[in-house]
Amino acid sequence: MAAIPANAPLPADPFRLGDVELPSRLILGTGKFSGVEAMLAAIQASGTGLVTVALRRFSRGPGAADDLLGPLATLPNVRLMPNTSGAMNAREAVRAAQLARELSGSRFVKVEIHPNPHHLLPDPLETYAAAAELAKDGFLVLPYIPADPVLARRLEDVGCAAVMPLGAPIGSGGGLTTRDMVRIMVRECSIPVIVDAGLRAPSEAALALELGCAAVLVNSAIAAADEPARMAQAFALGVQAGRLARRAGLMPQGAVGHAVATSPLTSFLGGTA
Amino acid sequence: MTRLPEWLDPTPWLELAHTATPAQVRQALAGAEPGERELAALLSPAADAHLEELARRALSLTRRHFGRTVSLYAPLYLSNYCSGGCLYCGFAADRRTPRRRLEPAAVRQELAAMRAWGCQDVLLLTGERTAQAGLDYLAECVGIAAAVMPSVQVEVFPMPAADYRRLADQGCTGVTIYQETYDPARYDHFHRWGPKKDFAARLDAPARALAGGLRQVGLGALLGLSDPAFDMLALYRHLRHLRQRWWRAGVSLSFPRIRPQAGGFQAEFPVDDRFLARIIWAFRLCLPDVPLVLSTRESPAFRDGMAGVGINRMSVNSRTTVGGYAVAEGAAIGTGDAAAQFEVSDGRDAASFCAMLRARALEPVFKNADAAYREPVGAAAAS
Repeated sequence: MAAIPANAPLPADPFRLGDVELPSRLILGTGKFSGVEAMLAAIQASGTGLVTVALRRFSRGPGAADDLLGPLATLPNVRLMPNTSGAMNAREAVRAAQLARELSGSRFVKVEIHPNPHHLLPDPLETYAAAAELAKDGFLVLPYIPADPVLARRLEDVGCAAVMPLGAPIGSGGGLTTRDMVRIMVRECSIPVIVDAGLRAPSEAALALELGCAAVLVNSAIAAADEPARMAQAFALGVQAGRLARRAGLMPQGAVGHAVATSPLTSFLGGTA
Repeated sequence: MTRLPEWLDPTPWLELAHTATPAQVRQALAGAEPGERELAALLSPAADAHLEELARRALSLTRRHFGRTVSLYAPLYLSNYCSGGCLYCGFAADRRTPRRRLEPAAVRQELAAMRAWGCQDVLLLTGERTAQAGLDYLAECVGIAAAVMPSVQVEVFPMPAADYRRLADQGCTGVTIYQETYDPARYDHFHRWGPKKDFAARLDAPARALAGGLRQVGLGALLGLSDPAFDMLALYRHLRHLRQRWWRAGVSLSFPRIRPQAGGFQAEFPVDDRFLARIIWAFRLCLPDVPLVLSTRESPAFRDGMAGVGINRMSVNSRTTVGGYAVAEGAAIGTGDAAAQFEVSDGRDAASFCAMLRARALEPVFKNADAAYREPVGAAAAS
């Protein structure tokens, strides 16, 4: 094996969603920032090539101060992934996606249907219906879902570009509480699994990538940090570390340190090794 | 109604809310999942010693759930005709206030003036139902507003579910309706005549609104009318009841308190700034994901201090006269205006209010809804 000098560039590791190649395995949300400058600074510091933005935060009037679409469209090398947050059911989400595609020109859509506005947990039935329809309509569909491996497979079967299970409820900072389910999803899905929602620390993003997730989507943890741009940088490093570790192959777990029985279980087989 | 239904009656927690010991308050602050018991303890006088800690925790929770944003709306009083006789209200039927309503052309003009300073979230208000400002008039105004505002909500007289459905069909998404006080006897005392005397009909109005297809309800009690501990604990129970039954509903809470107004009503249970802040922060601790709303009834200093610290939704640049944005009615804003429902205490315009928010690293959000993909209510009800 060739020596790797310190500070060597990371190995090429393309990340594709559908037919689109992205420069980073970190995807950013755009809500909850203290203002447009803070949001743009965090996006740039993160090195991301994909950000999600709620259609309801597009202001179509002239010069609205809280419009997010205009400022995001000025960023070079950053693609937009409109999301359908605010839609109560599949029909509303489909309409929101179509409208957002027209306004943003992006084929990406994050299907996000959370009928309860308090905990914002995704409705799996409505999400499935909307995702199936939008995939058929040519969108690159990334559905935000409960961490359910069967649902994930069903969404792959209807043509989604990736699945985005939650790590914990949105905005909770609970971490990767769904790791066992996410592990199964990674094993069983051939489309990318992207942890979305619930992460608080870059170490949790690293963990998601170590488990084999293709990427993570982070919003609150960056927007609500004391220094959002610095935190965005930290998440970028966490994602890189986790991905690099995954590719380097983690050492086997639980293989050492087991107590050895005094009478080997194989003694009845006779003979010696 | 003389007795509250069991689901609403806060009596079991009232003693704690009045006489919690410092140890009980500390225990409430240490609770992992604060609920009714913790709310009661934090409402008690002993919790005042922990005000700074409450504020710190309210800030963290608000930031975690709502980010560094404050959502903004503005009221538009359509009419001050009123059939009600609320002792504390400047628009009560027996006040000598001049009466008028905005005609459709004037509604359009007012909304255009509001859009011009950035408003995209309007709360339409009327008094109790009258011939001049009844359902037909209101439905027409909602339709006019929904054509130009992404979010239209109402704060109007209670009505049957079918009537709420008509408003929803015109583009209304939410209703704010304060019970004023949850104490039935005191409610009866303050509401001297008319349909508003019916405590139960008002209490059930948010549920009827949700049954009629509205998506959000705003609840509150008018602080100053009754024992605040009683009203705030009942408010908590009212919210909990609605959320259990209507799991898709957005429920928000407001904390209006009696302000000086025409008629010179004095609050019997005045709530000072320190107590009001503590009430709001106690609710934030116990309900981290519920929008908490503060209006321009409150002073600039109080609003500045609460923005993003417990409070995540605020009114801005408000007129509490009929209209007042496009066409000023006399001295439409400020003290001594007999034509206002109550005095606006924070008279800053949108630009200076937003500048204050930005200086506190908070983003003012005018648009956080979109009608473009919203389904007609009939279709949603069918799913």
